[in-house]
Amino acid sequence: MSDKPDEELITEVLGGQTDAFTELAARHRPRVERLCRRFFSDEEMARDIAQESFIRAYTALATYRAEMPFGGWLRAIVVNLCYDELRRRRRRPEELVGDFSAPEVQWMQTAHVASPEDLVGEAEERREAYDLAHRLLDTLKPEDRMVMVLKESEDLSVSEIAETLGWSEAKVKIRAFRARQALRKQAERMLAMGRSR
Amino acid sequence: MNCFEARQEFPALWRKTLTAARRDDLLAHLKGCEKCDHAFRVFALTAPVLYGEMEQPALRASRPVRREFSLADRPSRFVSPSREVSRLNQWLPMAAAAAIFVFATSAAYLSVRTPNDSIGEALSVPESSMTSDTTGDPLAPEMPLTESDLAS
Repeated sequence: MSDKPDEELITEVLGGQTDAFTELAARHRPRVERLCRRFFSDEEMARDIAQESFIRAYTALATYRAEMPFGGWLRAIVVNLCYDELRRRRRRPEELVGDFSAPEVQWMQTAHVASPEDLVGEAEERREAYDLAHRLLDTLKPEDRMVMVLKESEDLSVSEIAETLGWSEAKVKIRAFRARQALRKQAERMLAMGRSR
Repeated sequence: MNCFEARQEFPALWRKTLTAARRDDLLAHLKGCEKCDHAFRVFALTAPVLYGEMEQPALRASRPVRREFSLADRPSRFVSPSREVSRLNQWLPMAAAAAIFVFATSAAYLSVRTPNDSIGEALSVPESSMTSDTTGDPLAPEMPLTESDLAS
């Protein structure tokens, strides 16, 4: 992979060297896929949305303006695709479904008794920790989930989130507050389940 | 370290970006503060997705090899025929309603505007029958009196 800046690669793509986009995509793919995996536990879905994001970025590349970093522009495409997909699913249980697998129950119990250090270490090795976290986040409304992921995972400010999603800052703040409340409520319930089993 | 500071450091503890001294302070605080310990456990339930690097061995194993970018490699879920059909299904009722509306409007308009007879038939109607039609009509304009009317 060359060390050319993104803007130079973009100029090459727009000049007809379409191969330069392959390099651009390879450079940003890990970050894009990681972001998609924060929204979807289904690996195939996350990969597809990442791929679709690159296709849309490629077809809209002529509209890209160098005033903002390419990464931020691409992230807006990814985020909006993820948001559309979350809304399209229209699957908002709001409440946790209780059919947990044995490893998930075991993880709930671990979360209740293990030391904080052990929790951090074990979560890295256990797929069920990741699945259970997704189940918790799945209880959020798509709007709340968007704000939660962008704020907590991507470390975006309220104004950056508002700009990315085309919302007002007030709406972002309200969504963030509601999301935290709802998530805490569901996580408390899950911990209580781990305690009682 | 107070409770507020401790909770601010949860993400950094999860991401392992705390200095050793700061980490020890936080762990000591969690040991002594039941509320913060509980808050950390609540936090830990969503942290793998929200704060994880998403590169866990468990995830890596199931992940296919990354592909190179290709325009031809469009995910099927974004071009699937079922989606096209469902989009078509959304438009069909609206198109049908529009067609019915246009048909009904046209029918109503034609029923008011189109004469029952052809122009030839209308012209061939005898004059007497025309006057007899209008005599019974209270709204028909009054015919002017002629000399013969006055004489009778």
